[in-house]
Amino acid sequence: MALHRGKGLATIEYPTGMNQNGDPSQAWIKVKPDGRVDVFSGTSDIGNGSKTVQSQIVAETLGVPYDWITYDNSNTDSSPMCTGTFASRATFVAGNAVLKAARQVRERILAIASRELEIDPEDLEVADGTVSVKGTPAKSMGVDEVAGAATFVHGELLTGDGAHLNPGAAIVDPETGEVDKPPHAAISYAACAAEVEVDDETGDVRVLKLTQAYDIGRAMNPTLVEGQIEGGAVMGLGFGVLETCYPYYPSAEHRGDGMSTYHVPTMAELPEINNVLIENPSEGGPYGAKGIGEMANNAQPAAIANAIYDAVGVWVTEFPITPERVLAALDARSEPRREGRMVAFDEELSINSFSSTRTWGA
Amino acid sequence: MELTVNSVSCTVQSPPLTSLLNVLREELDITSPKAGCESGGCGACTVLVDGQPRRSCLTALCTVDGAAVVTVEGLGTPEDLSRVQQAFIHHYAAQCGFCSDGMVVAATAYVNAGGSDDTDAIREALAGHFCRCTGYVKILEAVAAAARGDELDIDSTASSANNTYVTIAGAES
Repeated sequence: MALHRGKGLATIEYPTGMNQNGDPSQAWIKVKPDGRVDVFSGTSDIGNGSKTVQSQIVAETLGVPYDWITYDNSNTDSSPMCTGTFASRATFVAGNAVLKAARQVRERILAIASRELEIDPEDLEVADGTVSVKGTPAKSMGVDEVAGAATFVHGELLTGDGAHLNPGAAIVDPETGEVDKPPHAAISYAACAAEVEVDDETGDVRVLKLTQAYDIGRAMNPTLVEGQIEGGAVMGLGFGVLETCYPYYPSAEHRGDGMSTYHVPTMAELPEINNVLIENPSEGGPYGAKGIGEMANNAQPAAIANAIYDAVGVWVTEFPITPERVLAALDARSEPRREGRMVAFDEELSINSFSSTRTWGA
Repeated sequence: MELTVNSVSCTVQSPPLTSLLNVLREELDITSPKAGCESGGCGACTVLVDGQPRRSCLTALCTVDGAAVVTVEGLGTPEDLSRVQQAFIHHYAAQCGFCSDGMVVAATAYVNAGGSDDTDAIREALAGHFCRCTGYVKILEAVAAAARGDELDIDSTASSANNTYVTIAGAES
């Protein structure tokens, strides 16, 4: 009886947003007379930072300081329609909507400034809340002054709207595999390498280290990206070795119903986590962004399962990989043949045994 | 019964077996302690009772008569944040924020007790607190920074050593 170490690798590719019904997002922006910017979008921030990232997109596109932006998604009557916060779509899909709206507002700011400064709009630029003449930065006016002039001199509202709609899903030719249109959104890629220690007496699996690489398109906000990836790693660890509503013993009534029976990873389980974030800007995303929220917890369970095989030479084919399942797999190896065939999985040991009829190495 | 909550003396009317969590949230309208699992498992309701971290959901009011209770509201003000609060901001140790109040209180107890920046010691001190968003990495960094007494700028975010950026050459800017 001993501790065994092993390493395993798994990869994930993940599309951004949905195909069905175009997956629309809409946004509306207006500028107050003092230059402060109100953004209305239907994307709820559920802790993923979408308010921050979309406000950054608006600030960057308009050329105004970030703290001039108020992002209001509190009211479904005043905010335009958005499918929601899911499918890793808030930065990519809703971000594209606010980007388009912000471009319109920028054009209107330049149009008003052009009339005030008597300079062609194409010769103007906006940065840090100031519209200035290209090459002659001394000739300038603040965006707040532009907004004031729009309101009180020109009788206009600085506003813009934007919407993003995906084309329908591609149709795949069953003979050739060819699709009739290119992918509508960014595909993100990631890999996770897990290092585990398996106790072959107790079946206990310790995840020691997760090393990950993520193709993130562009880190709109590096801190938020890191938060998603680090959080996803620990969620993946939970899916891999801890969390289930259905422990297989002895029946469904004994499923986890509280924090003492449903095991969420804590700081005690936290492995060493190292990430490589690869910035490889997408074509269709705002400023090259992709969506990486939902993919962040997919590769770890498979990497852990592969590492367990590397450590003790058995495949555990059901998540989470509890000590009981590791021991059952080790037992199956020591008495591997039933009805003449090697079994890695036993119907009696599982109540959701989709793979229970599968046999290995007949 | 009498309580001193965040340095303010209060006479509370709740029945003696009411949980301290309900007294704080429902009677005193102090909402930083969160009702998570309400069975002592998740740590979101943690408050300081006479300086010790306690699960307020499992603490009956009658057992803390006369005690001094401190919640996040009593640790610092927006203008004068505590060292642990500053560290949580600088290291971005919160996402949805539900666990943060309990985490900050428990980390404050750890730092006040002279806890070191040793990773294993922090993990042991905070292992009873669930966080679903952050993966704990940045919380660990924040508590270590607070334990070391780092000078922290809350207007900037710390860069973390475990994340490396690679930009594909020739990619659009």
